[in-house]
Amino acid sequence: MLALSIVFLLCWEYYWHSSGYVLGYNDDDALWCRNRAMVYEPADKATVFIGSSRMKFDVDIPTWETITGEKAVQLSIAGSNPRAALVNLGEDEKFKGKLVVDVTEGLFFGTWEDEKLTSHLKYLKEATPSQKVSAQLSFALEHKLLFLDQELFSLNALLTRLYLHDRKGVRGDVPWPTKFTTTNFRRQEIMTNEFVKDTTLQRRVTDIWTMFGALDKYHGVTRDTLQKIFDEVKTAVAKIKARGGNVIFTRTPSSGGYWANEPLQHPRAEYYDQLPAITHCGSVHFKDYPDTKDFICPEWSHLSRPEAEQYTKALIGHLKEQHWFANAR
Amino acid sequence: MVFNSYTFVVFFILILILHNLPFSWKTKKINLLLASYVFYAAWNPPFILLLWLSTVVDFFVGRALYTQNNVAKKRMLLVVSLIGNLGMLCFFKYGTFVLDNFVTLVNAMGINYHPAKPNIILPAGISFYTFTTLCYTIDMYKRKSEPVKHFLDFALFVTFFPHLVAGPIVRPPQLVPQFETERKATQQMLLQGLFLMTLGLFMKVVLADSMLSATANSIFGSEGKLPALDAWMGVLAFSGQIFFDFAGYSTCAIGVAMTLGFILPQNFFYPYAAIGFSDFWRRWHITLSAWLRDYLYIPLGGNRNGKVRTYINLMITMLLGGLWHGANWTFVVWGGLHGFYLWVEKAIADYRKDKVAAIAITPSGEVGVLGAVPEILKPKNFRNFSIALFTFFLINVTWVFFRANTFTKAWYLLKSMFGFTIKGEPMLTTLAIAKVSVIVTCMVIAHWLMRNTKVLDVIPKLSWWFFGIVWTVLLLLVILSQESSSSFIYFQF
Repeated sequence: MLALSIVFLLCWEYYWHSSGYVLGYNDDDALWCRNRAMVYEPADKATVFIGSSRMKFDVDIPTWETITGEKAVQLSIAGSNPRAALVNLGEDEKFKGKLVVDVTEGLFFGTWEDEKLTSHLKYLKEATPSQKVSAQLSFALEHKLLFLDQELFSLNALLTRLYLHDRKGVRGDVPWPTKFTTTNFRRQEIMTNEFVKDTTLQRRVTDIWTMFGALDKYHGVTRDTLQKIFDEVKTAVAKIKARGGNVIFTRTPSSGGYWANEPLQHPRAEYYDQLPAITHCGSVHFKDYPDTKDFICPEWSHLSRPEAEQYTKALIGHLKEQHWFANAR
Repeated sequence: MVFNSYTFVVFFILILILHNLPFSWKTKKINLLLASYVFYAAWNPPFILLLWLSTVVDFFVGRALYTQNNVAKKRMLLVVSLIGNLGMLCFFKYGTFVLDNFVTLVNAMGINYHPAKPNIILPAGISFYTFTTLCYTIDMYKRKSEPVKHFLDFALFVTFFPHLVAGPIVRPPQLVPQFETERKATQQMLLQGLFLMTLGLFMKVVLADSMLSATANSIFGSEGKLPALDAWMGVLAFSGQIFFDFAGYSTCAIGVAMTLGFILPQNFFYPYAAIGFSDFWRRWHITLSAWLRDYLYIPLGGNRNGKVRTYINLMITMLLGGLWHGANWTFVVWGGLHGFYLWVEKAIADYRKDKVAAIAITPSGEVGVLGAVPEILKPKNFRNFSIALFTFFLINVTWVFFRANTFTKAWYLLKSMFGFTIKGEPMLTTLAIAKVSVIVTCMVIAHWLMRNTKVLDVIPKLSWWFFGIVWTVLLLLVILSQESSSSFIYFQF
C-alpha cells in the first residue's frame, strides 16, 4: 500500500512538472502571518506593502531588496480591501515602520468585510503551537513538492475544472487559467511565461474581469460612505505617523478595459488624490511619471515579471525623490 | 493537535517508535502520559492546568468516596467532585450563555443592565474529559467498581491522547485494566489500527472537509431566500459532514489506540441506517448515549416510576444531552426534537404493546451499547429500509437546529426546505449538488448494507490485493485533498 502510494505520488509530481507547471506556495493564513511577523523590522530596514493583487504582482521583491538593501514585506491580499490591513497596522502599537498602501479604487473604496484578512488576523491571534509547527512542516514540503499547490492540484481544484453547467442565476466557479500565476515564498505573484505568451489565456482573464464588473458603468460610493472611509484612513495613518512610522500611497498600473473605466467609476480627483491630501502623505501614481505611465498589463490589471522589475526600479526612484529611504518620518 | 495535521504525523511516528522500544511498562506509560500532555498543550498550554486539577482532585476524591462509610461525608465528597467538574464545565462552556440569558431576562423586566461581554475561551475537549472523570467519581460513590490503584494509571485513563478531546467517552473498567499489564500491538492490531486511521482521515479530510463542508457553510451562512433544492442540499451536506467529521475522529482515535495496543469502545455504528430513533441513539455517539443513560436517565428514575415519569425522564435526558453539545437554545431544541421523536416512537410501541421502542434508553449489561438490537430491527427488508429512510429524513430536520446558530436562520431554512419560500435565489453550483448527492446517497446505502457488520470484520473477507488497492486509494485521496489542519466540529463541544 505504501509502495503503491509513493509510486503514484512520484508519477503525479512528475506529470505536473512535465506539464509546465512551476513550484508555488499556498498563500494561506500561515504564509501571510509569517510575513506579518516581519513588520516590526526597524524603519530603515524594511518597507511593508499592503494592497491587493496588483501590489503582489507589480513589486518584484528581489529587485527591491537588491537595489534598496531593505527588506520588502508583502502583506497585500488578492481581491481584498487593504483598508482593514491599514487599520490593523494603525492599531498595532508595535508597528513603527514604513508602509506603502496601494490603491485599486474598486477594492480600496469597497464597503464589504474582508474575509481573507479576517481569517489571517484570526490565525495571527489564535494559532496554536500545533498549527505553527504544522505550518513549518508544510512550508518544508511545499519547497519540494509541486502537487501541494492547493489552488491548482487539490481534489477540489481538479473537480472544479470540470466546469459543469450551472443553473441560471448561480455564480459558478471562476474559470481562472491554471497557468496564470504562481505565488512564491515571499508572497509575490509571478505571471507565468506561458500566460505572457498566450493571448487566449489573457483573453480568458479579461473576460473574468468583465464578469467582475471591470466595464460596468457606475460612480463609486455615496458621499457619506466616502467620508467615513476617509476618516478611517486618516485615523489609521495618523496613528502610524504618531509612532514615528511613515505611509505613502501608490497607484500601480492598469491598462485596457480597466484603465478605460476605473477613472470613470472612481474619478481620481474625488478618490485617489484625496488620500495623500487628507493624510499629508506622499503619493506615487503610475500616470504621474513618464517611466511608469505607459505600462501595458497583459490582462489589463497586472504586470508580467520583467515589467514588474522595471516598475519596481521606477517606484524605488520615485520613493527616493520623496525621501522614503533617507528618513523614516 | 488535530489528527489531520502534519504535527500529528510526526508526533504519532515518534510515539509509535517510543512505545516499541524496550523500556519498562512503567516508563512506557509515563511516555504515553507525557505525550498526552504534549498533545493537549499543543492547543493552548495553560489549559493543561485544568486537566491536572481535574485529574488530581478526582483521583483522591474517588478513592475517598470508595472507602468512606459515613454517608454524610460521602455525599459531601460527591458534591465536591460534582461542583469541581461541572462547575468548571459550566464556567467555561455556559458562562457567557447564562449571562446572556440573565441579561435578556432582566432587560425584559425593565432593568437596564448591560455588563461587559466576558471573553471566555472554551478549553478543548472539556466536555469529554469532564464526563470521563465524572463517571469515575460517581462509580466510586456507588462502589460500582474498584478505585484505580495507581495515580499514573488514573492520569493516563483521563488523559490518554486518542480519546482526550473528542471521545469516545471511556469508563474506567474499559481502559484502566489495559494499563495494568504491558500491552503492545500485534502485527494485526498495528495494521488494523493504521487502516482505521486512514479510514478516519478519509472520512474527515476528504468527505467532510473537502467535499461537503463548503456547501453546508454556504447554505447555513446565506442570508437570502433559498429554493428547496439548495436548502435540502445544504442540510444533507451538513448531515454527511457532521457524521464523517465526528465518526472520522472516533475512527482515528480507535485506530491510534489500536496501533499502541489498546482497545477503545466503538462510538458509531452506521447511524443513518437506524430504524427509528431508539435505534439511532444506539448507533450515534454511542458512548455519550450510554453515559447519559447510566448517569442521568437511570438516576432520574428511568422507566421505573410509571409511564409519565418515563416520558419526562426521557425528555430531560435529551434536552440536557442537547445542551451538552453547545451553549445555545438551538441545541436544546435539537435535543427536544429527538426527545419528541422518542416519545412518539415509545407511544406507538406502548400502543402496539411491542418492545421495539421501549428499549430506547434502557439499561443493559453491555457497556457502550444501548441494549441489544431487537430481532424485528435486524432483517434488511424493504419495510425496514423505508423506516430507515424516514428516520433519516426526520434526523435531517433536527440537524437544521443543530447547525443554524439562530432560530430565525433555522426557521428560514425549514421554510425553504418545505417549499414555503417563493422566488428563492439558487446558490449551489452543479458540482456542489453532484458532490452532495453522490456522497450522501452512497453514505446511506453503505450504512444500510453494513448496518449489522463491523468494518474490521469485512477486511479478512477481502483479497489482499483488493484491500491493498482500497487502502491506497483512501490514503491518496487524503493526501490529494490537501485539507489538512481544520478542526473537528465536536472539539467545540
